[in-house]
Amino acid sequence: MEEVFEEEQGGREKIVCAENLQKTFTLSRKQQKIERSGSRKVAVNGLSFSAYRGEIYGLLGPNGAGKTTTLRMLSTLIKPDAGDAEICGHSVVRAPQKVRDCIGFMTSELKLEGFFTPDFLFDFFGSMHGVEKEVLAERKKTLFARFGIDRFAQVRVNDLSTGMKQKISLVVSIVHDPDVIIFDEPTNGLDVLTAKVVTDFLSELKAMGKSILLSTHIFSLVEKLCDRVGVIIDGKMIEDGTLAEICAGKPLEERFFEIYRSVKGEEI
Amino acid sequence: MKLFALMKKEFLRFFRDPRLILTMLLPGILIYIIYSVMGGVMNAPEKETYEYRAYVSGSSAVVEPLIQTAVGTEGWEFLRAEDVDAAKAEVKDGKAAALVVFSENFDERVAAYTPASGGPAPQVEIYYRSADGESSSFYALVTAVLDGYENALSNKFDVNAGSGYDFSDAGRVLLSIMGNVLPFIVIALIFSSCMGVTLEAVAGEKERGTLSTILVTSVRRSDVALGKVLPLSCISLIGAVSSFLGIALSLPKLMGISFGDFAAGFGFAGYSLLFLLIVSIVPLIVAGVSAVSAYAKSVKEASAYTSVVMIVVMLLSLASSFVSGIGDWIVVVPILNAVVAMQAAIAGAPVVWTSLTSVALNLVYTALLVLLIAKMLSSEKIMFGK
Repeated sequence: MEEVFEEEQGGREKIVCAENLQKTFTLSRKQQKIERSGSRKVAVNGLSFSAYRGEIYGLLGPNGAGKTTTLRMLSTLIKPDAGDAEICGHSVVRAPQKVRDCIGFMTSELKLEGFFTPDFLFDFFGSMHGVEKEVLAERKKTLFARFGIDRFAQVRVNDLSTGMKQKISLVVSIVHDPDVIIFDEPTNGLDVLTAKVVTDFLSELKAMGKSILLSTHIFSLVEKLCDRVGVIIDGKMIEDGTLAEICAGKPLEERFFEIYRSVKGEEI
Repeated sequence: MKLFALMKKEFLRFFRDPRLILTMLLPGILIYIIYSVMGGVMNAPEKETYEYRAYVSGSSAVVEPLIQTAVGTEGWEFLRAEDVDAAKAEVKDGKAAALVVFSENFDERVAAYTPASGGPAPQVEIYYRSADGESSSFYALVTAVLDGYENALSNKFDVNAGSGYDFSDAGRVLLSIMGNVLPFIVIALIFSSCMGVTLEAVAGEKERGTLSTILVTSVRRSDVALGKVLPLSCISLIGAVSSFLGIALSLPKLMGISFGDFAAGFGFAGYSLLFLLIVSIVPLIVAGVSAVSAYAKSVKEASAYTSVVMIVVMLLSLASSFVSGIGDWIVVVPILNAVVAMQAAIAGAPVVWTSLTSVALNLVYTALLVLLIAKMLSSEKIMFGK
């Protein structure tokens, strides 16, 4: 892979750089019947894009487009069949452990042990990331206060509301103050209040110079948060650019369906 | 540091849940209670609690020994029948257990009788009710005494008449018998305690998605694997030791001897080797069940796979009873090596090198399984089913 971790002309630093990512899954017989396809499904097909330090990059696409698979490859949970990606200069294929050091990954599929308290879990995941005790204590104080977790710090996660659980997951995922934060559908399943807390915090993180990569199919979320957008359909990157470039003067929703129709050649 | 944090999490998960602790200690407590009660019943002095009556009619030299045996052993009331028909009616009505009738001049006719003559042999008639437990017990007692008498009449020689020929004490004989059964029981108990904690801690975490949350951190997969196997082994060891103590403390009661005599007969070396063998089997089984649990998609699936593993382990622990002429090669077979070493230790003839080699090899197998689990944790096909 060519040198991708480089300074751009505008002085912006590429912090995530994916090149020709590919991932194919084997389908079960049941899935083959539902999808009326063969035993293999190409989930991500030669995906390339870059995200820069201090920006929010959104992967926009319908369900099954390959957004989650892409984020899972970037977070090193699964390996690409071909291609590679560098995050903070580390290859997800060759140095997954170093990548995990500099990212925070949050998805609804990753759960916290409900038997433990937020206080214990924060310390535990801090240890998993090798965070110093003093730093961890300071960070816990700040983040717990920011999200109103401090009052429930000693209550078992199982006994907390869904919204509070989501906040704890968010806090735990960034326990080690990562440079890159990857969110898979960050507001999925959240009530309006918790969703606002999360989106506001993403803006705060951006203001703090963090780089955020998120996947969503919610147009308003992209319009509100994202600096740049990649439109994925059927595992391929169809459009990649700033929000203004993608929209071309039209509302994002209208523009997305134009793109979708041009790719799929069918009415929605 | 990360390994320590992982281990601490597993310990806290266990020790903060009183139900889990109770589940782990219960088998040992139950074994102690059951074996102690069994021993108490088996070794209690027999009491003359029967109030059954039996009759004998006619005369013979065997009548007196018969009466003595019946009364002395069972505490029965054994009376001479004044009226045979009345006694027979009592037996029929269930008021008496049995009636033994010797024919007239029984002893003389027995002495005069030769089988070669072809004539009918002198007869003893025993009236009883086979459907009645006490009556049929008495029938068995009488026939045993009479068979003994019959043998004595034609006695030509004896083998080991009297006692003092067997130099083994009763406790050692029982230990020898227990030596075949106990390792199987110990392995079964260890397996159940290992299974109880491991399925939930590995397959449960995988199913709930909490294991993936750990895998997305920068912790090494080998640390995660070791962070499961080590604390789960310690926790399972609590269950295994509880079961072991239950057996060790209740066995003397089962055998009807004092704990001091039992401990002296078993010996410090026997106990030490037995404990070491248990310590080596626990992590091996925990690692095995962890590997199966890591492979399974759910606790239910893991339980099904573990049942198969349990059958294999149980067969291995029983194999030594069926395979004759086991050689030194046995030390390379996990579980079976420990069972053979345990049998020797329990029977009072511990083989130190076999035991220590078994312990070492079981720990090596455990290490290999930990590496396998680490590999499995790195496999997206196994962890995420893709």
